[in-house]
Amino acid sequence: MRIELKGKSFAGHEVLGPLTLEIGRGQRVAVLGPSGIGKSTLLRIIAGLDEEFSGSLSGDDRLAVVFQEPTLLPWRRALENVTIPAGCDESAARDLMARVGLSGREEQFPRQMSLGQQRRLALARAFAARPDILLMDEPFASLDTETASRMIGLTSELLERSGAGLLLVTHDPGEPARLGARPVQLGGNPAVLRDQDNGTDT
Amino acid sequence: MLLLWTLVAMWSDNPRTMPAPWAVAARIGQIAALGELWFHAGMTLFRVLASFVLAMAVGLLIGLWMGRSRGADHWLNPGLVIALNLPALVIIVLAYIWIGLNEVAAVAAVALNKIPLVIVMIREGTRALRPDLDDMARAFHMSSLDRLRHVVLPQLAPHVASAARAGISLIWKIVLVVEFLGRSNGVGFKIHLLFSNFDVTGVLAWALAFVAVMLAIDMFVLRPWEARANRWRRDED
Repeated sequence: MRIELKGKSFAGHEVLGPLTLEIGRGQRVAVLGPSGIGKSTLLRIIAGLDEEFSGSLSGDDRLAVVFQEPTLLPWRRALENVTIPAGCDESAARDLMARVGLSGREEQFPRQMSLGQQRRLALARAFAARPDILLMDEPFASLDTETASRMIGLTSELLERSGAGLLLVTHDPGEPARLGARPVQLGGNPAVLRDQDNGTDT
Repeated sequence: MLLLWTLVAMWSDNPRTMPAPWAVAARIGQIAALGELWFHAGMTLFRVLASFVLAMAVGLLIGLWMGRSRGADHWLNPGLVIALNLPALVIIVLAYIWIGLNEVAAVAAVALNKIPLVIVMIREGTRALRPDLDDMARAFHMSSLDRLRHVVLPQLAPHVASAARAGISLIWKIVLVVEFLGRSNGVGFKIHLLFSNFDVTGVLAWALAFVAVMLAIDMFVLRPWEARANRWRRDED
């Protein structure tokens, strides 16, 4: 997956400047930056949810997204929340639900689950889509420390097993290290990417 | 209500214009025993269901379209306002003239009366669809059919349910008018005949018998369906 962005603006105001980002299977990149800088915007562009930008998005990798909120279908049971969007069969979904510690909850509706469980279900759903690259938008924010570290552990484990690449968007500088991801800083106005170690443009 | 009716009937003491409840009940028993009730009520029910299905399907489609597309809403809205304000009677008369005195005209006229209301209710529901779920469906490349079935329609279910319940009661009233004006069977046709003979007992008997049928549909079809569609909102299991 490769994005060459020339710019992205909302109502005449330029939010993102020129930047290039390339991720393949097995590679892990974390985009860091304060809230409101345009991290989520960048992720939405890469996910194909926002097509109004100048530049180009190339690559035929399968992408899957873990959103900031669990974004489950409240009217479908947990198992269907994996099989329907990801288009996988039931046994694959059961297997993934077991891996994220949700076995036995297949028949529950999302509102019968805790927030932590809902997020793990969203994680299982993303991996059920068999992505080449997983996109994550602040997936550990608003979780208590224990739940967050459990989620990070699970994510790392599933990435390892599936060999998928990762693009993580976060404001927490501790997360990239724990996921073994290369940290990249998004900053400036309009925002551009900088490698955190040497400060040069990537 | 029954008590009030009995009192008024006794007080007016004029069985021709104000028959007593038991007289009407006896007449219902009579038409039911003769089999007349089942045939005409069946015809009316068939027209109610046909126009209901047609109105809901067309209304849902156009409502979704207008709710999703600003352009469609802009261009179709004036037509919608006109359609909402056209008197039912005008639509019925024109349908009979243009299409002919047949079943198609009858069903189309009833459906046309109901469609604008369905459109308005579904359009409002569509405007309130959750954008985050829309994003999720797009990010996972769900097919349009899957999106409609699993993402859009469940969100619209409360609107569809209220459109359906408001619709079925409006529709059966209009079906009677359609039958009254241009059909040779059905409850409306029978009421037309009895009205010509000034047979109030008969008119009330037919009307009440059919109200009972519609109540049964509400209780045994619409309500259970609504409860099923809302299962996910409850905490049980």
